[in-house]
Amino acid sequence: FVGQMKGGLRDIEPDSESEEEFEEEEEIPETTTNKARIDILRDAMEAKQQKRPFCITFCGVNGVGKSTNLAKICFWLIENGFRVLIAACDTFRAGAVEQLRTHTRKLNALHPPEQHSGQHMVQLYEKGYGKDAAGIAMEAINYARDCHIDIVLVDTAGRMQDNEPLMRALSKPDLVLFVGEALVGNEAVDQLMKFNQALADHSNMTNPRLIDGIILTKFDTIDDKVGAAISMTYTTGQPIVFVGTGQTYTDLRNLNARAVVNALLKA
Amino acid sequence: MVLADLGRKITSALRSLSHATIINEEVLNGMLKEICAALLEADVNIKLVKQLRENVRSVIDFDEMAGGLNKRRMIQSAVFKELVKLIDPGVKAWQPVKGKSNVIMFVGLQGSGKTTTCTKLAYYYQKKGWKTCLICADTFRAGAFDQLKQNATKARIPFYGSYTEIDPVMIAHEGVEKFRGENFEIIIVDTSGRHKQEDSLFEEMLQVSNAVSPDNVIFVMDATIGQACESQARAFKEKVDVASVIITKLDGHAKGGGALSAPVIFIGTGEHTDDFEPFKVQPFVSKLLGMGDIEGLIDK
Ligand SMILES: Nc1nc2c(ncn2[C@@H]2O[C@H](COP(=O)(O)OP(=O)(O)OP(=O)(O)O)[C@@H](O)[C@H]2O)c(=O)[nH]1
Ligand SMILES: Nc1nc2c(ncn2[C@@H]2O[C@H](COP(=O)(O)OP(=O)(O)OP(=O)(O)O)[C@@H](O)[C@H]2O)c(=O)[nH]1
Ligand SMILES: [Mg+2]
Ligand SMILES: [Mg+2]
Repeated sequence: FVGQMKGGLRDIEPDSESEEEFEEEEEIPETTTNKARIDILRDAMEAKQQKRPFCITFCGVNGVGKSTNLAKICFWLIENGFRVLIAACDTFRAGAVEQLRTHTRKLNALHPPEQHSGQHMVQLYEKGYGKDAAGIAMEAINYARDCHIDIVLVDTAGRMQDNEPLMRALSKPDLVLFVGEALVGNEAVDQLMKFNQALADHSNMTNPRLIDGIILTKFDTIDDKVGAAISMTYTTGQPIVFVGTGQTYTDLRNLNARAVVNALLKA
Repeated sequence: MVLADLGRKITSALRSLSHATIINEEVLNGMLKEICAALLEADVNIKLVKQLRENVRSVIDFDEMAGGLNKRRMIQSAVFKELVKLIDPGVKAWQPVKGKSNVIMFVGLQGSGKTTTCTKLAYYYQKKGWKTCLICADTFRAGAFDQLKQNATKARIPFYGSYTEIDPVMIAHEGVEKFRGENFEIIIVDTSGRHKQEDSLFEEMLQVSNAVSPDNVIFVMDATIGQACESQARAFKEKVDVASVIITKLDGHAKGGGALSAPVIFIGTGEHTDDFEPFKVQPFVSKLLGMGDIEGLIDK
């Protein structure tokens, strides 16, 4: 199945309903289209040309799927020819580092160095537990720069909105993605606002960097309730960049505005 | 909505009774409307909210009520009782038996807090002098065994698991046999996260359950979950014999959640092993409403 996703991800498709049902489609904000996703590949390419690593940070509350979806996005980036460094900045939760090490091993097995002129497509940057997360993130970026690794994916611990140094360090990367689960319903909006506020509070810039996009996970565990998706994009104006639809590397999709309307009409 | 907010809103609705000069139908309806709105905002199922309103109203009959009766108190205590009912299914909670091997199996949605809570529960019983152990029957999630192993080691609790065996049914079975043989009293089995939409995962849960014949199956529920919870919880209960619930992440933003037909036995209030407390419905509701005395009021 490797290679099947090259260049792009499948959309979540509406089931089978007829086209007429989608007359109100235009009312869905543009933010739910796949525009933002394409930008990641383009921006990463641009950074590569400037010989600097492109850095994406994953944030969100406990257990929503940050690490798993980081691994899925890593797979997608490798499929698109990028070399990736995963920074293990969740230095709190038991097993967090080993979780990422397992993913790194599996991803390298899917894309063995033999197929990539002897290079490991993904590496793990870790310093164990109990250490300062912000420091590790910075070291990882420097390491990536020195070793000409294209992209750094920063995994973080659940409650990091209270971690001031980390929040401050976060104002530096190229992209901050907020991971929220479809299961929580409208609460997701509250969580997102909190993180945005924390980012703003801990930044000393006049124009602080806020969350750039949303990953909506566990979409496969809800039946027809897409309220979280709608309220998150409407309330925050931020795009849903990816949707997680399962627990394997290929369970990553764009959110198709049409599918959302469809689900809403069915509900 | 934060749980404390819900408490505050209900309390302020109840307080409106004290401000009213006479308590009549209109005042009662106004108050009930506020309470119901707060509950709905907290994601409590609409059917349950409706029922709560009807039950309170059926208790208070303005025509038949004797003049001297303290209507305020009657209404307050009716609301309190209904809130308790909302959370308490009225089933007696399962208790482990001393001197015997009690097998407890954890189930729940992905990321709900099972693995963390397994250690919390084991630690809780260990401190109370029970001979306690943990088994990792999650062979799916990356790093699952390391997570349980690190937690267990830190809390000095014996554990069982494997890096190479991929069949959770096998591990669960072997682990339980081993610990039964060593006369452990509390044997806790952690399983992978799963959801009702994936049949094979539910089937696996049933097989693990059959392999270990648990004395208690605990459904671990994340307090932040929305309306999707009810159908998931029901599906878990239909597949395996869920007899208890533990609610996690009550320290964060918490919703009231829907009612379950199994009693809540513990709540998780943080990420550390001792952020854990037994759950008692009445004190919980009293605390929620910030009214320490109302419990006594009920008993009268
Ligand atoms: N069904 C389903 N499960 C998912 C999805 N994404 C993640 N999960 C599962 O959710 C659980 C938690 O995922 P993690 O990636 O560990 O979550 P996290 O946010 O990193 O958790 P912490 O680091 O503990 O805060 C795991 O069991 C994942 O397999 C998804 O899109 N669908
Ligand atoms: N704040 C808070 N976090 C909690 C609580 N209980 C668990 N967590 C966190 O929630 C996240 C997920 O917990 P896990 O124990 O890994 O969840 P799980 O159900 O075993 O996840 P899977 O095995 O992937 O299905 C971790 O980051 C835990 O630290 C709690 O009571 N409060
Ligand atoms: Mg993680
Ligand atoms: Mg687990």
